[in-house]
Formats: sequence, C-alpha cells, structure tokens
Amino acid sequence: MTHPIDVDVERGRDALEPPQSYFVPATDVYETDEALTLLAEMPGVKPDGLEVTVEDNVLVIRGQPEAAAGDDGNVLLKEFEVGAFYRAFQLPADYDTEKIEASVKQGVLTLRLPKSDRLKPRRIEVKGE
Amino acid sequence: MALIPYRGRRMPATTLSSLRDEMNDLFNRFWSTASEPFGLAEWSPALDVSETDDAVLVHAEIPGIDPKELDISVVGDTLTVRGEKTDETEQSGRNYHRVERRYGSFTRSLALPAAVDADHVTATAKQGVLEIRLPKKEEAKAKRIEVKGS
Repeated sequence: MTHPIDVDVERGRDALEPPQSYFVPATDVYETDEALTLLAEMPGVKPDGLEVTVEDNVLVIRGQPEAAAGDDGNVLLKEFEVGAFYRAFQLPADYDTEKIEASVKQGVLTLRLPKSDRLKPRRIEVKGE
Repeated sequence: MALIPYRGRRMPATTLSSLRDEMNDLFNRFWSTASEPFGLAEWSPALDVSETDDAVLVHAEIPGIDPKELDISVVGDTLTVRGEKTDETEQSGRNYHRVERRYGSFTRSLALPAAVDADHVTATAKQGVLEIRLPKKEEAKAKRIEVKGS
C-alpha cells in the first residue's frame, strides 16, 4: 500500500469511532518527494473545531462547523446541511506520523505527513572503474 | 433561471435502504450529467437561501476559494455569483492518488424573492462559507397590520 485508503473504524475504539451521523469531506491526496499531503474540504469549520487523531496508522479527521448564528427566517432553498465531518484513513506504514502538520484555511484542512527518511528518493552515485 | 435542486453530500450507507437510496442517487446523477457533453459538466457551489422580514440571506459553500476570486452582482432581481477555484492538481512534482475536490470556474444566478437594495448588499466569507446579506427595499419589507377592534 502506497497511499491512504478509507477504512471503517469498529465501534468501541472511542478515540477513532465515527459520530452518529456525519458528512464525508471531499479529499485530495498527493505525494511529493518529501511528503504526503491530504486536502479535505470542511466548510464552516474553525481551527478549534478540528480534531486530527492517529492511532496504529489509522488517521481520523473530525470537524464540527460553527452553528449558524441567529434566526435565518424562512428557508427558500436548501442545498446543503451543516453537520459534523468525519473520515478515517488507513495510512501507508512509511510516514512519520509523529511529525504530521495540520493547518486550515478557507474551510480546507491540509495535513502534511513527512516521509520517513528511508522512503525519500536518493541518488546513488555510480562509481567508475 | 430555475433553481436546480442539489442532493448535497451523502452520508455513507449504513443500512440496506440507505444503500438503495445511494444507488438510486448515483443512477440519477449519472443520467443528469450524461445529457451534457462529457467533461463539460459544470461545477457550482451549493446554496442555502432564506428570507427574513427585512433581508434575503444567501449562504454558499466555497471551501478553498479565495474571496478575492469572487464576483458578486445584483441586477434587477437577479443575484449572480461568479468565482474560480484554482486547479492545483496540475502542479509539477505532485503525484495525485485521489482527486475528489472540484476545480474550475462557476457562475450561479438566482432570482431573488423580493426587491433588494443593491447598494447595501454585504458579503463575507469565513472558513469557506460565503454569506451574502441583501437588505430588502422598504416597500418589500413585511409590515405588521394592526387589526382594530370595534
């Protein structure tokens, strides 16, 4: 396995298990020579509403958007609902989960997992005779 | 322009009946986009629209869009929101394993339910959620009529 795959977390693993109902954030995943980066869309979630957990190489991201303030009056069109975000990924073994960096901007969570040193591309010098 | 209902993000199927819904939804979405030439299906943000006594409120989910890339205009009783989500997936040195986010430009127009004061429309974007507040014109505001007893 070289990239994260979605995983179901069984009930009873408190730190990882999903909430009763949730939205699955659309996520892009890309790899560079140095790191693996996940970009998850979680509109309405502030930094303090975010939770990122790693246990046994299972990465869980959660987000709780801020409740809409005040009375919005009569609803004329409803194309999206506001609710908790949740997604769990099984991570490939070769990333340094101790060094995950997380940031959020414009409702997009960015997670950067540096590759462990042995996975980084290395140029092998070929010696002549 | 007619408003097109949007099914929203789906939660994962946990029971058989929701699995069935999911399959139906997938089927419907396939046929609804198949009428357009492949690859040209437009992306546009989901909107919530509500109306209070003195304003119309529009919320849009625009995660990852720089507010500077948005163009909001009101002409007559039509609100138009244009924007662009810059596609980063073409950047060199990136090997993509998964692309679920949608990129590109969009235009969304909406017929407003009441006459609004175009000079006092405000728009704010926070955490990828855009809020447009359109105050109603005086004559369009709801007024409470007192019923006098005899």
